[in-house]
Amino acid sequence: MTADAFIFWFLSLVAVTSGLSVVMMANPIYSALSLAMTMVSLAALFATLGAYFIAGVQVIVYAGAVMVLFVIVLMLFDLREETKAFTRGQVSGALKIAMIGFLAGLIVMVMAQGVKFLAAPDVVDAAKLPEDSSKALGLVLFNRHIFGFEALGVLLLVVAVGTVALARSKGGTHAKH
Amino acid sequence: MGQDIFEITINGIKLIVIFLLMVQAVPILVWVERRGSAFIQNRLGPNRVGPLGLMQLLADAVKFLNKEDFLPRKAVRALFYTAPVYALIPGVIAYCAIPLGTPLQIEAFEMAGKMWGPYTFAMQGFDIGVGIVFILGISSLAAYTILMAGWGSGNKFSLMGALRASAQIISYELALGLSIVGVIMLYGTFNLTDMVLAQQGPMSFSFMGNQVVIPWLPNWGLFYQPLGFILFFAATFAESNRLPFDLAEGEAELVAGFHTEYGGFKMLMFFIGEYAHMMIAAGLVTTFFFGGYLVPGFTPAEIREFVAQNLASTPNGISAITSVIHLLAYFVKFALFLWFFIHVRWTLPRFRYDQLMDLGWKTMLPWALFNTILTAVVIYVAYNFA
Repeated sequence: MTADAFIFWFLSLVAVTSGLSVVMMANPIYSALSLAMTMVSLAALFATLGAYFIAGVQVIVYAGAVMVLFVIVLMLFDLREETKAFTRGQVSGALKIAMIGFLAGLIVMVMAQGVKFLAAPDVVDAAKLPEDSSKALGLVLFNRHIFGFEALGVLLLVVAVGTVALARSKGGTHAKH
Repeated sequence: MGQDIFEITINGIKLIVIFLLMVQAVPILVWVERRGSAFIQNRLGPNRVGPLGLMQLLADAVKFLNKEDFLPRKAVRALFYTAPVYALIPGVIAYCAIPLGTPLQIEAFEMAGKMWGPYTFAMQGFDIGVGIVFILGISSLAAYTILMAGWGSGNKFSLMGALRASAQIISYELALGLSIVGVIMLYGTFNLTDMVLAQQGPMSFSFMGNQVVIPWLPNWGLFYQPLGFILFFAATFAESNRLPFDLAEGEAELVAGFHTEYGGFKMLMFFIGEYAHMMIAAGLVTTFFFGGYLVPGFTPAEIREFVAQNLASTPNGISAITSVIHLLAYFVKFALFLWFFIHVRWTLPRFRYDQLMDLGWKTMLPWALFNTILTAVVIYVAYNFA
């Protein structure tokens, strides 16, 4: 086994294990911490592919900012009540099992189809990528995909405004007087 | 990591040496902090053990190692014990990406009946193409350490401290990230070595088709990004949880914040983590705004020329002495900024929490945005109107 293969299998193992523990843990805080672990190992996987910029951004945005906020909010909840509501109930149990079946089917389908997708002619050759791929990424993002980029920006702004409006209308510390 | 076993070994040793340098610098910094604070406050500070009180550090280390290792009753064992270890990791990994000197070039040589080399060893743990993004990403993981410690201790003061600290780190990360955008636009690269090399020689730039040269100023980022420097430096104080932003500890309100329940060596590891963040901040400020490892007024080529004429004759010797000179220049600037961190800690009082949040979100973030836009406009005008 080469070093690259070893690193890949190790990181995949970490990603899958921590991903599983996100759903298996009873306490939401540990779920969130496991999710952060998944993000970091995914970033490391990106780095092994030579996509250092995406790896860095993945860590900064998801692991460093979004998940920290999740953990902070979870720590402020009364977790005993949350845990009870989270694990009790037959309906949600049945839903969970159905979801696992659905996911397993999806994975099998993707694995069966994946070979065909990978064999498509416009697969990028990793060896041909430029040394500093962040520049190429920026050019593609701000030239070819500029509309999608800007549209996503507007969408996120709408979400932010909506959140503030909801928080102010439903009472709480920021309610309108 | 390298093409053969020799290069891989040296690169591995380099990582260990940088780690040890960082850890060994902490006792000295603690000594500087205690003696410095004493002189600022008109006291003497620890001066009984050894010359100038330097042996106090050894005594402290022995004390820390011998303290009782205890687990609070309501603590979560896994989080409580892993948090101090995690406190060290992000700081040390991030510091390895900062360039400390010109690369060391070794000619081909014979060893154990085989020809080796030639080699080029960068004076840093590893040279990574997207240096800034990497360092920001890795050091942003430090928030988890604090959260793990706060939650794992099973103590309300710890949890309050952890929540404050992580909210503060997230808030100031925005201002920190935005204040560097101007620097990235100025140098046009993410790579720290390229940034340092862009700052060599006297100040010279082209503005609207004219080449401007100011021979008495070094070509440092500080003169192009003064606002960026102020914002970045202020935000790093908040990121490393130092005064005036150390609300996470706030001993008047929270006992000691997230490390209330920690004692002995576990607390020391949090301490080392905090100093590691200070070192990253000092290293980054040096690299972005003060020419990194460059000697002011001289380019690396001129220094190499000087060494070749006066100090060494073999190519290996020339390269080694050049590297050492640049290493020393780096450490002088680095030490100055570390001293500045310590001086500020003993000069300014602590902020109130709402003042801290107002400063981060309502003052520094808008100014960082303004700096970004201003830099973009100036660069556009400078290059496109001749």
